[in-house]
Amino acid sequence: MANLAAYIIRRLVLLVFVVLGVTALIFAVTMMFDPQVRAYLYVRNIQRMDEEGIEGVVMKYGLRDPFYMQYGRWLGEVLQGNLGWSQSTSMPVADAIRTKWPYTFQIVLFAAPIIIFVGIFLGVQSAIHRNDPIDHASRVLSIIGWSLPSFWVGMLLLTVFYNVLNWFPPGPLSRDMFVAVSSPNFMRYTHVDIFDGLLNLRPDVTIDAIRHLILPVVTIVTIDVALLIRVMRSSMLETLNKPYITTAKAKGLSKKVVIYKHARRNALIPVATLSGMLVAGLLGGLMITETVFGYPGLGSWAASAAIGLDMPAVLGYAVLSALVFVVANLIVDILYAYIDPRIRLE
Amino acid sequence: MSLKNRWQEFKVGLTPRIKEWRFMLKRMRGSSLAMAGLIIILGYVAMAILAPVIAPPQSSDPFAIPLDKEIRVLQNEQPTPPTFRHIFGTTQYQFDLFYGCIWGSITAFRIGVFVVAISLLVGLLVGTASAYYGGILDETLMRFTDIIIAFPGLILAMALVLAWQQPTLEISISLSLVMISVMVSFVLIFVHPDRRLLAMNQLVLLLGLASSFFFPISISIPLNNLDKVLVAITIVGWPGYARVIRGEVLRIKNEDYVEASRASGSSDIRTIMHHILPNSIYPLLIVATLDIGSIVLSAAALSFIGIGAPEYYADWGQLISRSRFLISDPTLMVRNIHTFLIPGLFISTFVVGWNLLGDALRDVLDPMLRRR
Repeated sequence: MANLAAYIIRRLVLLVFVVLGVTALIFAVTMMFDPQVRAYLYVRNIQRMDEEGIEGVVMKYGLRDPFYMQYGRWLGEVLQGNLGWSQSTSMPVADAIRTKWPYTFQIVLFAAPIIIFVGIFLGVQSAIHRNDPIDHASRVLSIIGWSLPSFWVGMLLLTVFYNVLNWFPPGPLSRDMFVAVSSPNFMRYTHVDIFDGLLNLRPDVTIDAIRHLILPVVTIVTIDVALLIRVMRSSMLETLNKPYITTAKAKGLSKKVVIYKHARRNALIPVATLSGMLVAGLLGGLMITETVFGYPGLGSWAASAAIGLDMPAVLGYAVLSALVFVVANLIVDILYAYIDPRIRLE
Repeated sequence: MSLKNRWQEFKVGLTPRIKEWRFMLKRMRGSSLAMAGLIIILGYVAMAILAPVIAPPQSSDPFAIPLDKEIRVLQNEQPTPPTFRHIFGTTQYQFDLFYGCIWGSITAFRIGVFVVAISLLVGLLVGTASAYYGGILDETLMRFTDIIIAFPGLILAMALVLAWQQPTLEISISLSLVMISVMVSFVLIFVHPDRRLLAMNQLVLLLGLASSFFFPISISIPLNNLDKVLVAITIVGWPGYARVIRGEVLRIKNEDYVEASRASGSSDIRTIMHHILPNSIYPLLIVATLDIGSIVLSAAALSFIGIGAPEYYADWGQLISRSRFLISDPTLMVRNIHTFLIPGLFISTFVVGWNLLGDALRDVLDPMLRRR
């Protein structure tokens, strides 16, 4: 275990550097803007800005100083929770993130487990039945899924399941449910609709929220499960060719035990890495999916901010998603080192 | 050595390669999926080449989709369904879908090939140098790629396009002349020491230096948002290649034949070009083929959000983004389904083609999988 602790500490130290690098990179990109535009990165309260004037903010935060000084000052502001003012939603970026995250969280909550379980299941089946019809079908499906533009899938799903069948409407909630949720009697414990519905003993709210979640989740699963199937299949094929599998078979173990106990466990290792990246990468993909379904999460917020040239919002989203990505990778790597002792001993 | 001897040597050296290519082709022909991918890609190539014949351009800029002014007067925004006049119908504001889809194939190839070629080159340079020389160079370069990889690409690309407000790209010809001739002289010194070529190159270098001091020439290239998207995706994309090639070079670097090449006095460049790269480049080619599809998808996604190709431009993603108005009123979707169904089919089959090809190439080229 001492090894594991040392490994985690080493990774944490590395994490600090990666976070510094990533934020510096994003900040360097924003340096291409004029100081007057960048002033919004530092403003917590738009009234104060009106009093001081843009030039006042520029002077106060020294927006014409060299890069490293500005970066240090900006990092200080970010550590205090100040990400600037989002003009497209006319609220501070930090507040916008606070109001938008529950919606994105709901989608990820459903999409991520489905992607991981379906991906592992189909990948294993495809590898066991190599070159059978099952294998061909799942390979073709995964190639097609990987090739479809998510916005197109989303629009087709909306056409069929909303416009023709009227089963699953876009948006986060139906109108009456929205009224119910906004009423003062409805306590916002978690700000996540599906949980709050249950906690307020209003299962109808939860059911309605889930109904609105189905299409976005299906879209993301169709696109993202493909990669997982592919990786699981090739990892499983590689494992099945290892000598210890032959040994297990020669010992007379049943096929089931060999596949699920001996092979699948070891084949899961590369999939674990990928799953971490996938969950983090969902944030990028959600930009498109949420826009298509009019879902008011972080992604559609960032997309509309991008069109509206709302730089602080885009920057906030970029910092947030980079952090999620780095932390998710860290967690996966630690799990990985825990599962596979060879890694921490390196 | 006489020319004839050299030719003989070249032919002998080529024999195993030709044998190898034959073997690959045989494997490719055996797989129906690979052939399907190849046929799709060739179909799109034909479409791109024949575009001026299939859909003759109507203005000086062939990528500007013509819009039907007569219908526009009658029903301004509403798209029209397919008719004889417009085989695929028209989008919002009466842009002709057929024209856009056909010319969009050229845009798609441009996006995919440009981004992949540049990222491949940069990745190859960084990855090989970092693996071959190791040490502090490796550490610095790889930490830098870590930082770029630790980032959802689409978002960084979006931020870059937003931040890049200048409408033109200034390139100083004098300076690039200097840089190119410096690089060429490095290659000449290491790979092919020829005094006459070297002297010529030195002359170019001198000219470039002189002109950059006394009369600097620079050109400015006008950039639309799509070009910025391309540059942004390239900046985000190259670290992936660098990682792949680094792993491969690390694996091969300690093989006996590399050692033998070095022991017999070859320069580093020669060892890399003749012994390491030919044995390590295949995985990179597979990744590149698979990447072309996903790059076209990323560019289309950015165009869909509204920060990619401008609104008249023949690009599939842009065509679909013309039907974004349906999102605010999805009850109109069935009536206007052609506006996104048709360009979407074009994107999907294009990407499916590349992915089928890449998947087949993996089976054909990967030495671990192939001879089973």
